Amino acid sequence: MTGSPPAKEHHLQVVLKNKPEGKRKLLAALQAFAQAEHLPARVLQAADLALEEHLTNLMNYAYDDKLSHDIVVRCSVDQNALTIEVEDDGTPFNPLLNPEVDTSVPLKDKPIGGLGIHLIRKFMDELHYQREAGRNILSMRKRLAS
Amino acid sequence: MEIQNFRTGDSVELLISGRIDGDGAHQLEVEILATMKAGAKAIYVNLSQATFLCSAGLRVLLQYWRQMKHKQLVLQATRPSPDVDAVLQTSGFREMLVEKL
Repeated sequence: MTGSPPAKEHHLQVVLKNKPEGKRKLLAALQAFAQAEHLPARVLQAADLALEEHLTNLMNYAYDDKLSHDIVVRCSVDQNALTIEVEDDGTPFNPLLNPEVDTSVPLKDKPIGGLGIHLIRKFMDELHYQREAGRNILSMRKRLAS
Repeated sequence: MEIQNFRTGDSVELLISGRIDGDGAHQLEVEILATMKAGAKAIYVNLSQATFLCSAGLRVLLQYWRQMKHKQLVLQATRPSPDVDAVLQTSGFREMLVEKL
């Protein structure tokens, strides 16, 4: 019997709850995925930071109730980039509409807060948001080559 | 994350090891508050062994940098690791850093 070998899986999916423990579970899975896929350290660093920031925002602001919610994180790698998709059923929120942060403002005048989305923008290469079937989906892409 | 506290007179160095994520930022805030309460006139947050810094950590550094400055006291970050330095520089926190020791 001939044919191509089965395609190697380059995907990771983690479903976490809107509780801080979920972030620890995700980090462990992300680190194992990065090692298996031989991702450059700077790509893992960017992904780690972007997920920390986005998930913190979701856990703090996305839900009006005290219920448990699923947040789905999907990571995939192709030859060019790592793509991360985060899907949640929280309040509609497009983080890309947040105004850019002026980092030249001196510390004494800097607003406290708002830096999370700024860091996601700066550390990831491409961002895309959509609202679909009552769910927010933020897609973030980081190129493998520097 | 671990925090070691080295006091020399009125000056305190907080040596941070590990991740300053949401939990770490809270831990750092508690330590800074305790150090302020203990009468420190200068607090140096040594980031040479910090492997990660998120916006929650930046918020804590900024908040207490301001509080200390308002009291004519000092809080500065020192010796950031490369990953942490990238976050500080990207966020316009260069002013927070001081060459020390």
